[in-house]
Amino acid sequence: MSMPKLELVNLTKQYDNADVNAVDGINLTIDAGQTLALLGSSGCGKSTTLNMIVGLERPTSGDIRIDGVSVVDVPAGRRNVGLVFQDYAVFTSMTVRENLAFGLEVRKTPKAEIQRAVEKVAELLGMSDKLRVSARELGGSELQRVAIGRTLVTRPSILLLDEPLSNLETAARLAMRQELRRLQRDIGLTIIYVTHDQVEAISLADRIAVMNGGHILQTAETHEMCERPSHVFVAGFLGSPPMNLLRGTLEPAGNGHLFHAGPLRFALPHTAGGAEPLAADGARNMVLGIRPEDMALCPADQGLFAGAVALVEPRGHESVVTVDVGDAYIKVVTPMRNAPGEDETVGLAVRAESLVFFDGETGQRSAHLHS
Amino acid sequence: MTSTNKNHIPEDSWDVRDQPAAALALDMAAVCKRFGGKTALNQVSFTVPTGSLTVILGPAGAGKTTTLRMAAGFDAPDQGGIALHGVNAEGVEPKDRDIAMIFDNLALYPNKNGFENIASPLAIRGLPRKEIQERVAALAETLHIAHVLNRLPKTMSGGERQRVALGRALIRSRRLYLLDEPLSSLDAQLRIELRAELKRLQRERGYTFLMATPDFNEAMALADTVIMLREGRVVQVSTPQELYDAPVDRETALFVGSPQINLLRAAITGEGSAIETAWGTLPLPPHMRGIAAANGEFELGLRPEDLELAPDARTGLSALLVDVEPLGLKSVLTVENAPGKAAFRLRLLTGSSHARALELGQPVGITLPDAGRLLAFDVQSGRSLLL
Repeated sequence: MSMPKLELVNLTKQYDNADVNAVDGINLTIDAGQTLALLGSSGCGKSTTLNMIVGLERPTSGDIRIDGVSVVDVPAGRRNVGLVFQDYAVFTSMTVRENLAFGLEVRKTPKAEIQRAVEKVAELLGMSDKLRVSARELGGSELQRVAIGRTLVTRPSILLLDEPLSNLETAARLAMRQELRRLQRDIGLTIIYVTHDQVEAISLADRIAVMNGGHILQTAETHEMCERPSHVFVAGFLGSPPMNLLRGTLEPAGNGHLFHAGPLRFALPHTAGGAEPLAADGARNMVLGIRPEDMALCPADQGLFAGAVALVEPRGHESVVTVDVGDAYIKVVTPMRNAPGEDETVGLAVRAESLVFFDGETGQRSAHLHS
Repeated sequence: MTSTNKNHIPEDSWDVRDQPAAALALDMAAVCKRFGGKTALNQVSFTVPTGSLTVILGPAGAGKTTTLRMAAGFDAPDQGGIALHGVNAEGVEPKDRDIAMIFDNLALYPNKNGFENIASPLAIRGLPRKEIQERVAALAETLHIAHVLNRLPKTMSGGERQRVALGRALIRSRRLYLLDEPLSSLDAQLRIELRAELKRLQRERGYTFLMATPDFNEAMALADTVIMLREGRVVQVSTPQELYDAPVDRETALFVGSPQINLLRAAITGEGSAIETAWGTLPLPPHMRGIAAANGEFELGLRPEDLELAPDARTGLSALLVDVEPLGLKSVLTVENAPGKAAFRLRLLTGSSHARALELGQPVGITLPDAGRLLAFDVQSGRSLLL
């Protein structure tokens, strides 16, 4: 077995005068050549994690290993970890070539070697013809490429990108995502993306680790995480719109189950969520998850839910329809031609096997009702 | 965030103003504005009906903020007129316009907590304490900031601060709210959540919103009417769906929709019965009969979601797969006719489980099951040939 490129072991950061840990005992392993996205909202601990990997902050406890060797005591500049910030940190008074060469000149690398490295990286980034251009004249995506190039010339063993695309306009962002995927394929770098944007994470990374409140709630292959979130937070975070989540009680009833959430009550067939029968006394607090793509509009008297359309949000070929089902809003994605009018009463048909349940206390996907 | 259960907003009387509303909150007529030698706005005309949510959509530098500043009275037009609620606004001071302007980055009072920040406009007006508390609590609930009411701004996240700022602007009754990219500094997920809340709030309270954004998703999701602005000109005024289905020109088609629309050089052949492209020949769909293409040549627009992957590489147009971009349940495939030739690239959407089975570089077939949504643009001017 090959050694992981980067390991985080029980990594914890507690700031003075804070009563909770900013990063609370996280474990993470990244193999060489893998891309991983650390995904979470602001304040979840992802930036603190990144700063500890780079060496800008010292962990309170736990370990960081690169190629199997602890780097906690290695100063930031010697870890061979490249960091590209959200703000490009490109010197606008310099040309592209001077910017790219900067990191190597600081290290007193021989001139001929700098020249070779700069030209190679410029070619990789498709900027060979821009080397003499002043950085002041560059657009956002070009600046971002220079920022990445500045880091790449130093041949980091791990590249960390902090919200790499958030300063770019939509079109440039799409192009840059394609560029980053190509770059990663071509040079096989180990890359960690730190982002709050699920689209960025999903489109760029092989694996995703979702963080919240200093914890990693799930680490999984990207498609696995999209299809089978293991924690209710992940289910409520991923997807556009994310899964509908209804907190309620599940109890055995006849041949199946009865789920109720406030005034909402409905029977679920045995197969729902791959459900196994609960114990006879087994009423449990559960969160029911239904993906907006797993429902279809139907006549009001035929669905699992019915209610008035509160909101229709078109997005081109489809619409996100929000239905007020009494005590909750349910979102469903429907083809544009089926979109109802606002205030219309509609039913929502759900395939029973697409329902998922999360434990009401732990938030974990229910093992009891596991498919 | 982990529950879709509702936030109840107590009904009260503070949502709409007492005076009778004019049909149009804002009417801009041929407004022109130059800064230095540069034209910022060029004959900008549009209306904002009272109680509507109108969105100005455009890239950076299109003139969105300038337009809002004109409406607010911070800048005066060089030419053209602005009427607010049916009354000429010329010479009316910003403070007398009954307008609230909400920016991307609003300053908060650093020494006041969340509650005091939101309540400050009401406290100045001397409302009873109990009423202030109820209003702030209801609004804070909707904006998901109940937990920061007792905290100082410096202990809030950027998103929380922005929501407090929104709350402070919305707590006052105004006949017109001007929102300048109010959500752009928020996290992606929060932005999507909050925009639905904003729209619901707008509907429930009967607010009139004029909002500027560079994000077409936001415009599509929110707007009753979209004003498409480019280089200081209004290029299209339409519902979000019309903007997507029938863009007036190529630039608008490219700007609205993700993944971006595919454009291919095309020509009408076979005595007007077929479209010929570098990818192959298609029958001319009924809606494109009789288009006035110069020399029979035009630019064909194909939305990525209208293209499908054929069951095998021999069916449909043949191409090589060059990129796969997963987006969750769906993925964007980029294909080209020959490696390295960027001239003939197409993007299409397909299910992610299907996309994962594909390998880069492999030949694939592309079909167009429904040609009824194809768009056509003039090669030179970029104008739609279908309108």
